[in-house]
Amino acid sequence: MIPLRSSVVLHHRSGWRVWVPLFPFWLLLILVGAVLFPLVVLAGFALGISAVRAYATGWRILSAMKHTLVEVDDPEVHVRLSFA
Amino acid sequence: MNENRRQILEMLAEGKISAQEAERLMGALGDESGAAQQEGAIKRQAKYIRVMVDTDMHAGKNPTKVNIRVPMQLLRSGVRLVSLIPAQARVHVEDAMHRNGIDLDLSQIRPENLEEIVDHLQDVTIDVDDDKTKVRVFAE
Repeated sequence: MIPLRSSVVLHHRSGWRVWVPLFPFWLLLILVGAVLFPLVVLAGFALGISAVRAYATGWRILSAMKHTLVEVDDPEVHVRLSFA
Repeated sequence: MNENRRQILEMLAEGKISAQEAERLMGALGDESGAAQQEGAIKRQAKYIRVMVDTDMHAGKNPTKVNIRVPMQLLRSGVRLVSLIPAQARVHVEDAMHRNGIDLDLSQIRPENLEEIVDHLQDVTIDVDDDKTKVRVFAE
């Protein structure tokens, strides 16, 4: 499954905090992928690659991103990108 | 029978320790070997690659810490992308790499070979420590 609870959190030392959930982004990505699938199939015929295999690989990569974490702790701002 | 157990039994036979003490020592050995096996199993099952960077405030700049955790599964999934490169594109990619001094035949690369490399990453430990920066790369 794709990391639905992933988010980006920015925390500034002055106190403000921004939390951005990535769920809408994943949803948009899935919708765009579904809409473009026929075009990818046609392109796959021309290039000699399987669209199903390409989509399966992409899905596997998205699913594998779960538990990926990037955290930067600066004196001014703390940034946390989490694919939970 | 390992060396430690043999020594314990010899001491028991020579009367240097009692049966109770021998049993306690054997139990302690069993815990240690079990812990060592568990540690080995955990190491073999490492799931993430961790990169930690810590800059020192004495460097004149504000200290910054970077913490990155990448699942091994992501690396394994990523290497499969190589198999998706079309044959005609591979020639162009190899030409471009050759012009940059990299002689690599992509047709010889198999996903299982790359997965073997990813598997060996479980044993990777890199520690860089100078006056200003500490960098650690390890599998956990």
